[in-house]
Amino acid sequence: MSGRARVRARGMARSPGALAGECTQASPSVPRMLMPSDLSDSEASFSGGMEGTSRISQNCDKSVSSGDVGSTFVEKVVKVRRDYVDLGVCTRAKLAHVRDSKTGSSGIPVKLATNLFNLDLPQDWQLYQYHVTYIPDLASRRLRIALLYNHSRLSDHAKAFDGTILFLSQKLEEKVTELSTETQRGETVKMTVTLTRELPSSSPMCIQVFNIIFKKILKKLSMYQIGRNFYKPSEPVEIPQHKLSLWPGFAVSVSHFERKLLFVADVSYKVLRNETVLEFMTDLCYKIGTSCFIQTCEQQLIGLIVLTRYNNKTYRIDDIDWSVKPTCTFQRRDGSEITYVDYYKQQYNITLSDLNQPVLVSLLKSRRNDNTEPKIVHLMPELCFLTGLAGQVTSDFQLMKAVAEEIRLSPLGRQQRLARLVDDIQRNKDARFELETWGLHFGSQMSLTGRVVPSEKILMQDHVCQPMSAADWSKDIRTCKILSVQSLNKWLIVCSNRAENVIDGFLSCLRRVGSSMGFNVGYPKIIKVQENVAAFLRAIQQHVDLDVQLVMCILPSNQNYYDCIKKYLSSDCPVPSQCVLSRTLNKQGMMMSIATKIALQMSCKLGGELWAVEIPLKSLMVAGIDVCKDKFSKQMVVVGFVASLNPRITRWFSRCILQRTTTDIADCLKVFMTGALKEWYKHNHDFPARIIVYRDGVGDGQLKAVIEYEVPQLLSSVAESGSKISSRLSVIVVRKKCLPRFFTEMDRTVQNAPLGTVVDSEATRPEWQVPLENQYDFYLISQAAYRGTVRPTHYNVIYDDNGLKPDHMQRLTFKLCHLYYNWQGLISIPAPCQYAHKLTYLVAQSIHKEPNLELASYLYYL
Amino acid sequence: MTFKRVTESNMDDVGCFSSEMGRTRGFCLVAPDFLIQSLRDISEFFVSRRLGDKMEEKNMQVADLGCGDTELLRLLKIYPCIQLLVGVDIDEEKLQSNGHHLSPFLGEFVKPRDLDLTVTLYHGSVVERDSRLLGFDLITCIELIEHLDSDHLARFPEVVFGYLSPAMIVISTPNSEFNPLFPIVTLRDADHKFEWNRMEFQTWALQVANRYNYSVEFTGVGKPPAGAEHVGFCTQIGVFWRNSGGAPGPCVSQQHDQHVYKAVYTVSYPSLQQERVLKFELVSEVLLQVERLRLWHLRTLREQKRGAGTVPKEPSVAPSLMLDLFTEAEKARIENSPKPFCEGSRFFVPLQRLLAYPRLHRLPVDEERMRSLLADSVCLSSDGSAVKVDLRNTWDWEPDDY
Repeated sequence: MSGRARVRARGMARSPGALAGECTQASPSVPRMLMPSDLSDSEASFSGGMEGTSRISQNCDKSVSSGDVGSTFVEKVVKVRRDYVDLGVCTRAKLAHVRDSKTGSSGIPVKLATNLFNLDLPQDWQLYQYHVTYIPDLASRRLRIALLYNHSRLSDHAKAFDGTILFLSQKLEEKVTELSTETQRGETVKMTVTLTRELPSSSPMCIQVFNIIFKKILKKLSMYQIGRNFYKPSEPVEIPQHKLSLWPGFAVSVSHFERKLLFVADVSYKVLRNETVLEFMTDLCYKIGTSCFIQTCEQQLIGLIVLTRYNNKTYRIDDIDWSVKPTCTFQRRDGSEITYVDYYKQQYNITLSDLNQPVLVSLLKSRRNDNTEPKIVHLMPELCFLTGLAGQVTSDFQLMKAVAEEIRLSPLGRQQRLARLVDDIQRNKDARFELETWGLHFGSQMSLTGRVVPSEKILMQDHVCQPMSAADWSKDIRTCKILSVQSLNKWLIVCSNRAENVIDGFLSCLRRVGSSMGFNVGYPKIIKVQENVAAFLRAIQQHVDLDVQLVMCILPSNQNYYDCIKKYLSSDCPVPSQCVLSRTLNKQGMMMSIATKIALQMSCKLGGELWAVEIPLKSLMVAGIDVCKDKFSKQMVVVGFVASLNPRITRWFSRCILQRTTTDIADCLKVFMTGALKEWYKHNHDFPARIIVYRDGVGDGQLKAVIEYEVPQLLSSVAESGSKISSRLSVIVVRKKCLPRFFTEMDRTVQNAPLGTVVDSEATRPEWQVPLENQYDFYLISQAAYRGTVRPTHYNVIYDDNGLKPDHMQRLTFKLCHLYYNWQGLISIPAPCQYAHKLTYLVAQSIHKEPNLELASYLYYL
Repeated sequence: MTFKRVTESNMDDVGCFSSEMGRTRGFCLVAPDFLIQSLRDISEFFVSRRLGDKMEEKNMQVADLGCGDTELLRLLKIYPCIQLLVGVDIDEEKLQSNGHHLSPFLGEFVKPRDLDLTVTLYHGSVVERDSRLLGFDLITCIELIEHLDSDHLARFPEVVFGYLSPAMIVISTPNSEFNPLFPIVTLRDADHKFEWNRMEFQTWALQVANRYNYSVEFTGVGKPPAGAEHVGFCTQIGVFWRNSGGAPGPCVSQQHDQHVYKAVYTVSYPSLQQERVLKFELVSEVLLQVERLRLWHLRTLREQKRGAGTVPKEPSVAPSLMLDLFTEAEKARIENSPKPFCEGSRFFVPLQRLLAYPRLHRLPVDEERMRSLLADSVCLSSDGSAVKVDLRNTWDWEPDDY
């Protein structure tokens, strides 16, 4: 099975046997009825992976084994688990140069506070794993759990049980314990509890149990779980002006870091819109009229998460069925037909007011088995609330500002929230009891030492610039010439008749800033057209010929124009294009900075090089990979690949493909890499000695698939490139959304860690103690946060032939964060990743097909 | 519910249902759907009976004795008229583990109830007297009495009917005449001390009713299969009303506080009776309505500009869901209120107009209260009589004209 297929199965691997006795999926359109799970007792709620363990273990040897190295059992468990960490990935063992140490040494040491907490266990702490069988065999998991939990023999043990596997923190006297109990009907059931394994606290299995324990604890603090995070709706931050409430909460996880078991908590907010889907639809109809209502409505709603009022569930909108009305009937589980109206009245005492609303369709992913069809649920728009921010809402500047003001916590505010959480846990009787029975001790907040790597110089054409602040050097290089660019002689401006008056001013501005940066801008041919998309397109089609270097469009609005023009000029007729909103050109007083930005973008699109940093390695190719879901068909994924073309790392080659798959694992890397190597050869008449690939967009739990499926693709294209000495490859997984945060404490206040801070100890992946998870990784802070708290980027080197010292790898990564030409400053990820992101975003949002290869060595997607 | 389902119910079905986990409530031979339905019937029955007389009933207090896994309480909390829900059980651990099921749903924070609701679970026995349960509108004892031994059964009416003396009592218990239809026939639950036939139950019920001045009606849930109608319902139910002539409550000597039950869990629901919640709801509704009116106004302007001069038709398309469905009375109320108006680039909607819309009309506020609640979140006109917004926003969607 390919890595990709395996990933698809992740979290769904269940035994078919577990299905027996489950309710059937008789009706395709049953709204969730009050099914057993609605009444479920959280005592038994394991994360997905735990359930997956049940049947596997039945076949496994009943003898006790210690530890879990090489155990197939653990591997299987690991594969089905979906959580923050990718367990069981051990890449560092193969990397000889970092076997002893993965820490660097350059830079100035800095003491950092973190959001990590020590979780102490007694020295000899062990987790005891038992296997439980029932005679007679009971199919119902709930019944099995109930019988075991109610048994007096186990009542004072801390336990976690999924119906088959039982974890205890204290060993039972006997290896095999026979328990007898009675069901409510008076039937005697014999439970046999057999010790199968004794797990040290370093075992990945323990991590799962710890996470379950914390889940319970947070529920005890009256927090609600939404997705993976926990929120407190009883203390909302309300922004009534925008119909929003923000629920404060935390993303938490327990993991092994270098030598310790740590609890990580980061503040998180859930955005709730105080607006039902029906109200949203009605408003949308008011706004845009009816002609393209259905299409727009689907575009904006599909993929959003909704919350229903009558139960505690969230659903994803997968489709909207306009043909079904609340007065239609569906089949209940017992086979009877009922209308939605009656159903909601009977079941929840809810009267639907609008009998013409369509229904929202949500696919429930089966948690039981991967070969069952997903269940379809119909939801009433009137009863669903929108969560999160997406679509049109995000273009409401005022709203976004209001949200940002609430959400953006200063480092100090963040630390205070964490302190309160810890305090709450320690004050709550039940929470404390839970921790104590498991033998866990909640320790102090951790601080560690990081390093601030030296700042970089920006190399311009005839000037080396040491910026005042690496966050933004636009002022520092204002008078400097860019490295190289061809002059722009033959180009077009397409604009509407209305925009005519702004063009002259803009053009002269553009020519002025262009000449000061060394970019000669000639006079364009100006084409005036009517204010509609068709007219714009027609004008472009008529006037663009082979000699045209660039087309600039002054757009009256963003709607449609951008997508249509980009689509045409990126694939049908490959010419670099620059779109500008006429509104932007009307902003008096900002004309110079706007013109500068546009001039820089235009020169990039023509193949220009803006600036460089010193790259000590000769013959190094860097590449970035990112993925993005297509805007229209959520089944399509756009995979983008951007690789540098010269040793100075100022020119870029790009490829992009749309692939039909439900995972984010790239299928086409071999083609991309081979293409990039050929192009490199064309430019440099040799192959690169070293290749470093930064892979972004790897989801939780996909790490293993990337290692097993993507790295071999890259390796084989390198091996088959035809070079005499095979290029050496490194692959680094880049993750922007990691939980740890780092702060500096100064004068009794807490601040963001400085730019260039590297953390490669203590908060990184575990060391020798946990051989299964030994990885080579580091955190780097390469972007500035003026307000709020900066989020470090996590780099995990999963493959490394280059043998660069950790120090060099870290500094090279930092250098690459300087090279994104759309921003005169540092960014949070290496430039190739950001380019790949830009490319995939453009294709996913506007073009929806592969861009023309003729543009491949230009930054046309900026 | 077919008979087949009932008789063939096996461990699976039972196991699916959490009541198997405990012992206080024993519909155990009955499929879970069925139990849910019967509990639903009971609550529905109660509410309709009760509301039949007084539609505007508020602040009702309901207790479920022997609440076990709290399913009935979960069903009852959906009724807006209930403001206090109490569960009592002797199994403290069960109350503790089930408490969180009664906490408000996430959606209930987004769209709060109109009236406050407090849910409390007490650990205690039904034969003990606790004054906090006095004066309730309804007390339910679902599948409870058959778990009482003869001593407790004898004391039960004295406490529930005599001391607590609620306006209405619902008592359900298995009908033993139905038992032969089950594959295994003994008692339905190992903890049952007895199971009565209809005669036995009704005799007991009538005696109790007479003694404490209640009237009683009998019903049941779980219809027998065709051909076996004579056995009656699977579960028999007695519904007791306190006679109006009877003692309205316990006598004075018993009035002093007697707190023997231990509160295990308690939760208050967000509701519009709370100022913070009301304010949020009001501001959101006002802004929603103002936004709609603004967009409507813009549309009208666009249509006029186009020269047709006609008032735009209401959107009448495929999604005919659109627009609020007003009753004639509501329409009249809206028509009779001051109209929105424009001054320069500002758009004004009078507060009175806003209050005419049903969704604002239902909120417990008058114009004065509304003004003070809106004051710091919404921009009002200088005399405070209308909401003021910009007529055009930069992010407005301007449809393309092809």
